[in-house]
Amino acid sequence: MNSVMYDTYTIFWRELKRYKKSRSGVLIRLIQPAIWIIVVGNIFSETQPLIQSVGFEGEYIEFMAPGVIILTAIFTSIFGGVNTLWDRRYGFMNKALTSPISRSAIALGKMSAISLIAALQASLIIGIALAIGVTFPNPLMIIPIMGIVILFSLGFSGISVTLAATAKSQETFWGMINLLGMPLFMLSPALFPLELLPNWLAVVAKLNPVTYTVLLVRELMTGVSEGGVPILISIAVIFAFVVAMVAIASYVFTREVNKPF
Amino acid sequence: MYSIEAKSLTKSFGDLIAVNDVSFSVEKGEIFGFLGPNGAGKSTTMMIFTTLLKPTSGNAVIAGFDVMKDAKHVRENIGFVQQETTVDEYLTGRENLLLQAKLNHIPKNEINKRIDEVLDLIELSDKQDQAVVTYSGGMRKRLDIAGGLLHHPKVLFLDEPTVGLDIQTRRKIWEYIKKIHIEFEMTIFVTTHYMEEADNLCDRIGIIDGGKIQVIDSPQNMKNALGNEIISLVVENNNNNDSFLAELKKIEFIKKINQDDSKLTLFTSNGTEVIPKIFQISSELGIKIITISLTQPTLDDVFISYTGHEIRDDKSKFNRKIEHAKMKRLRA
Repeated sequence: MNSVMYDTYTIFWRELKRYKKSRSGVLIRLIQPAIWIIVVGNIFSETQPLIQSVGFEGEYIEFMAPGVIILTAIFTSIFGGVNTLWDRRYGFMNKALTSPISRSAIALGKMSAISLIAALQASLIIGIALAIGVTFPNPLMIIPIMGIVILFSLGFSGISVTLAATAKSQETFWGMINLLGMPLFMLSPALFPLELLPNWLAVVAKLNPVTYTVLLVRELMTGVSEGGVPILISIAVIFAFVVAMVAIASYVFTREVNKPF
Repeated sequence: MYSIEAKSLTKSFGDLIAVNDVSFSVEKGEIFGFLGPNGAGKSTTMMIFTTLLKPTSGNAVIAGFDVMKDAKHVRENIGFVQQETTVDEYLTGRENLLLQAKLNHIPKNEINKRIDEVLDLIELSDKQDQAVVTYSGGMRKRLDIAGGLLHHPKVLFLDEPTVGLDIQTRRKIWEYIKKIHIEFEMTIFVTTHYMEEADNLCDRIGIIDGGKIQVIDSPQNMKNALGNEIISLVVENNNNNDSFLAELKKIEFIKKINQDDSKLTLFTSNGTEVIPKIFQISSELGIKIITISLTQPTLDDVFISYTGHEIRDDKSKFNRKIEHAKMKRLRA
């Protein structure tokens, strides 16, 4: 077990080194969520009555800021696994596979690095949100929010690593990512309250772990509880999602990398 | 004790047999070369030895451990330097080696010492803190090789170590490999399709073609089997030519003479003693020699004699359909 931890840290260290060296990547990943919060946040500012109808008193931009934080986490982490494909193509994977480190440690190291990177990107978005006037009633809440973002991103990095390990080509991987990412984001209360969804869509949204994460982060950020989901239920759902995804990713990764690429 | 033992190793991808019942062993401390054209089964064999592929049947034992049953111990005892350079471009040379050291579980208090040691060996100490993106192809390769040595493996696998490098760099890499062999006393298994490389580096060579081993011997023995020297001469046509040929045949060292019009090829030993005798006979018979040269048989000649085709020019054997099916299976 000790050696799995050490091996996981080795891969984690390598992934973070690569992230640190790609400064342009840090900025590129920020552009999309920044556009969301600045452009969409302002365009939809007139929809305040809609969100007031579910008991939310603040500006629309304050309502959707938690949604954009989660958007950043979703997309940073779901794209994060792509270097698995590069590693297999350019030999790093074979290098790791012929060394004595454990296979699942490679997957775990990648996932933990991806989730930390996603959280770093999300914290930059929180910075942008603060800069354009979003306020936190209780600034200390940033700590639990970051904890949730890290945890949630770990689940999504599991999806990413699973897809990257099974995909034979970049095209398949990107196709699958696009197929999953946007719908999961849209089918959540990230941009509008669940109460505004037609019933059948609301049922689908309730099956989506993103929904619980957005509700939880929004409640911590604004203090307004909506959708009638207790905090503990949200936390339980997120935990279950993460455990399942990490387990699936480790299993699938270990199985797939043993096949020739 | 053997460092590598292959026992009836077979690997097939569907109905394509990439490695066909290969058995051989490599002794501890040997530099063993696996020579063959692209698609001969070299890489597949090496992937089995390095635990990346499981054999369809047969078995291999590396440094005393079974690749099937004891893969983890095999991995602890091997270094693998792949054909393509795998160092991380954005990390520095030293960071790349640090990563490799961690992957191979080198004890923490040993890591810096080992990195300094290999950096010194491959003469990259002064460049160690530069990003690899600034390195030349040869430097990257050296760094890759250094990474394979850090944990002092018992067996070092080098897959086409000089492919794509210019000739000076290639010679330099050979020097490093020889230095490593002496300094670390490790067994080195190298695949190559360069005759010169096999000849230069290896104690013994296995020629593999079509998934089967054709011959295993030292490069020198292989060449000696052909007669160890070749004298080629061109003479002016003269009606004394037949008696010239008859006299030449009487020289004891000459094993065989091929005549192609005025061009004679003599397979011989002790060539430097034979040449003066040839001149003596020719002046007695009044035959004018236009050119004469003494060469040694190359491994190219050996390769052709065992496989019936040249290593680079194997179009007759290259079946596009089969190759395509094989690549598809490898990817599937």
